[in-house]
Amino acid sequence: MHTRRSVVLAILGMVAVSVAQAGPSFRFERNIKVGIVDTYSGPPAVFGNDALNGFRLALEEINREGVHGARIEFVTRDEKFSPEIGLSMARELVLQERVDLLVGTINSATALAISAFAREQRVPFLVWISKSEQITGAKGHRYVFSTSENTAMAGKALAYALARQGYSRFWIGAEDYEYGHAVTNSFWRFMKRAKPEATLLGQTWWRTGEPDLVPYLTQILQARPEAAFFGTGGAGMANVLRTMRVIGFAERVPSAIHTAIDVTVLRPLGAAAPEGVWGTTDYLFYYPETPANREFVRRFQAAYRDPPGFPAFHGYITAQFIAEAYRKARSLDRERFIEALEGLRIRTPVGEVEMRACDHQAALPLFFGRTRRDPQFPFLVAGDLVTIPAREAMPTCEDIQRARARGR
Amino acid sequence: MVTGTRLGIGVLLAALLGAPAVLPPFYVYLLALILVTGLLATSLNLVLGFGGMYQFHHGVFYGIGAYTLAIAITKWNGPAWMGMVAGPLAAAGAGLLMGLVCVRLERLYFGMLQLSLGSFVWIVALRWYPVTGGDNGLHGIPLPPELHPLDSAYRFILITVAASLLVLWAVVRSPFGLTLQAIRDNPQRCSVVGIPVRAHQLVAMVLAAFFAGVAGTLYVVLERSVFPNMLFWVLSLEILVMCLLGGWFTFFGPLLGAALVVALRVFVGRHTEYWTLILGVLLILLIFFLPEGILGTLGARRAQNPRVPVPQPTHAGDAHG
Amino acid sequence: MDPVAVLGQILVGLSRAMILFIVAAGLSLVLGVLRVPNVFHGSLYMVGAFVAWTVAEAMGGHPARLWPALVAAPLVTAAVGLVVERTLLCRLYQREHLMLILFTFGVMLILNDLVKLSWGPTYRSLVPPEALQGSVSVLGVALPRYNLVLLLVGPLVATALWLFAHRTRIGKIARAAATDREMVAVLGIDVGRVFAVAFGVGCSLAGLGGALVAPTTSITLGMDHTLLIESFLIVIIGGLGNLWGALVGSLLFGVAHSVGLLIWPQFAIAFPYAITAGVLLLRPQGLLRSVW
Repeated sequence: MHTRRSVVLAILGMVAVSVAQAGPSFRFERNIKVGIVDTYSGPPAVFGNDALNGFRLALEEINREGVHGARIEFVTRDEKFSPEIGLSMARELVLQERVDLLVGTINSATALAISAFAREQRVPFLVWISKSEQITGAKGHRYVFSTSENTAMAGKALAYALARQGYSRFWIGAEDYEYGHAVTNSFWRFMKRAKPEATLLGQTWWRTGEPDLVPYLTQILQARPEAAFFGTGGAGMANVLRTMRVIGFAERVPSAIHTAIDVTVLRPLGAAAPEGVWGTTDYLFYYPETPANREFVRRFQAAYRDPPGFPAFHGYITAQFIAEAYRKARSLDRERFIEALEGLRIRTPVGEVEMRACDHQAALPLFFGRTRRDPQFPFLVAGDLVTIPAREAMPTCEDIQRARARGR
Repeated sequence: MVTGTRLGIGVLLAALLGAPAVLPPFYVYLLALILVTGLLATSLNLVLGFGGMYQFHHGVFYGIGAYTLAIAITKWNGPAWMGMVAGPLAAAGAGLLMGLVCVRLERLYFGMLQLSLGSFVWIVALRWYPVTGGDNGLHGIPLPPELHPLDSAYRFILITVAASLLVLWAVVRSPFGLTLQAIRDNPQRCSVVGIPVRAHQLVAMVLAAFFAGVAGTLYVVLERSVFPNMLFWVLSLEILVMCLLGGWFTFFGPLLGAALVVALRVFVGRHTEYWTLILGVLLILLIFFLPEGILGTLGARRAQNPRVPVPQPTHAGDAHG
Repeated sequence: MDPVAVLGQILVGLSRAMILFIVAAGLSLVLGVLRVPNVFHGSLYMVGAFVAWTVAEAMGGHPARLWPALVAAPLVTAAVGLVVERTLLCRLYQREHLMLILFTFGVMLILNDLVKLSWGPTYRSLVPPEALQGSVSVLGVALPRYNLVLLLVGPLVATALWLFAHRTRIGKIARAAATDREMVAVLGIDVGRVFAVAFGVGCSLAGLGGALVAPTTSITLGMDHTLLIESFLIVIIGGLGNLWGALVGSLLFGVAHSVGLLIWPQFAIAFPYAITAGVLLLRPQGLLRSVW
């Protein structure tokens, strides 16, 4: 008698507890649709594909668990590294495909153009490769977020590193587009702060994706600077590095380029990449060797054969940010999504990353190193690595407010 | 114009005016783009189809019109309406300069010289980063708030394009236009008779450039951006293709051609990234089977009487007319 | 300005001019003999680069891998050109120039997409053989070894072309057909065959140019766009159908750009275009004699 009553009571008690814990059962009424605009043709395509692969890898687990019962779906559009095409693709995705949010792109000018459009349409836009600091800085606003490091961080890291090496007479060579200008301005701005006596002997600018860089680089060699900084990105990076190797530039003039040590840049070049070039990146598949990073790399290589580069890492955390924000918001409303995303912290292969609320910039650490050969790999990797934590690298919230006020 | 056609056009205009109420925003945007591109193509056809001149780099005037408006607003902080007037005027000025230099030459040389001068303008726009935004172009150009909503921008574009087409139509039917067509068919005979051939061609170029500039400013109203591609030779050839596709001896042919190419890019481009291959095949089929273009062939079939005679073919023989 | 720097830039500009010359010569030949402004000439240049890459890759790391590539690329592009010419283009010779331009533009669109279909959208790198890597010090200037090779190959090709045009029977007939094709036909010579040969040679030159440039640049879609306009401009300022004119034009272009970098780096790339505009304003028919 007592045993049966206590069993019934126990069962009733368990039922009561689980009902109290469950709360209202909540499900999204439809799937989440993400619109991705990126470059999938030409030299920058390696970056776009890498990012998409990272995104897809994250979605595998996310969709297995579901976001309040919904899956995250995506559509892609190729902007062919042209802001004109990118903008019209974004317009089509929002007006025609009716995506919930936009993600992209590698071309900083396209990112800015789409950002202006996203603000007008009140659609969240997450930038995952473009690095111009204007995206979350002077031209930032409520609807744009960045999961990529930016030129303010890279310029600062490279400037201080080169100043520490003792160089003071520089030459700058860069591609004549938004990213080229942004990263170069940032580098020189911080160089003057780190070393006021530094001088700029001259600058050489060339067209984005200019195929024949030999005359430009030989001209820089003639000027005999102590060190050179190159503001080149997705379209022209391969050509710069290749030409540097062909004419033996890096042996004569120490050079620094942001993302030069990243695997997405070095792998396609293989043996054609130069050794001894300084660079920065915010992700390396072999450093730091944490279990989380190793696991991420293992899963990525199992799915896509090649190791992940920084775009894959950004793609992966973008998917995580999206999923977590929707989980927290419990609503498909875009404004709720934005509020949930601000200040959100997620666990990534390199540790915890926060989406800073004041400027919508993900707080990422930077790594600084030098290209070198490694017998393990058919491409170059980075050595002499130094980690720069996020709070050292990022501009402060006050800096951002000031930049935005000036921009207005 | 036949009354029936006039009525038809009136109905079409009314329908287009009311379109934003029924169509989803993306299609409104598409219609606006077709109107802008159609005006551009029609302006080219003034010198190409009706003037017989090989205008290979018409895009230059389009780009100059667009960049003038963009720079006027962003760099000189001028009011938008001033830029919208300055754009076509700058384009017309460029047309005058280019015309003075080029009309001395015939056919292919005319085209090639224009190509080289136009490419120079493209390079300047590409390298002059502080003013033109270089490779990126300029975007997020602020326009008066009345033009911000897509529907108002669309209506503004529709009215401007309709008015421009009306003016172009009047020009083509005027004594000037008829003389121009006579010059197209036989320039030697016209000059023997005493018609100032070069002067007519120059005026035609300036007019064509002016309306290309109008199309350029309308592009800025629609997209709020300008890009150096507008000045690149590939776009100029695309506009030529539109004229040919629709029918380069007809007035509305280029408009039809523009609609077809834009539709092709958007709708076929959605399913395959190789839509340019399809355009290429279409073009070749056109050259072999429909050399008059779509409207041209339809017009020839409908009218029993002989059409305007085809200009003397300058086959790989004579460059000098 | 440092004279060593100027010399260095001149040498670099000359080597680039060699590539421009090879491609422009092909275009000039086609324009001169067939009077066809071949818009897909640039696409053939791109095809040549991709084919060279494929052949070199197939040979693995073999040190002599560049040679078969340099032979295969012109053969492939000549074949492509001949197919187009024999099947479609030959029917259009009686039509206006406008139609020819639009036809070749259509072929260009098709060829470009076929390249994308065949090789995909990612770019390729062709690493030159060890012997041609690195740089050499020439009069105090660091010149890449490969550019030296180009400086030798250019004049070789020019000589070969001259021999073809002036010493072979078909070359002489081609030159005659360029000036007066009716007369050539009246003499009982098959003009169609002459045209086919000329077109084939022109297309092979485009492919050769692409193969030669492949080790120095990213082999990618869109590499043909600016090259095509540059080739056209060189042909125009040199004189249509005039091979020496193509050489003069190419030298002007290449050197103006590289030396211009020392004078006004920002606008150096505009120098060749400005020169072209200037030449055409003064002498619209080109610097040297045009064939027509």
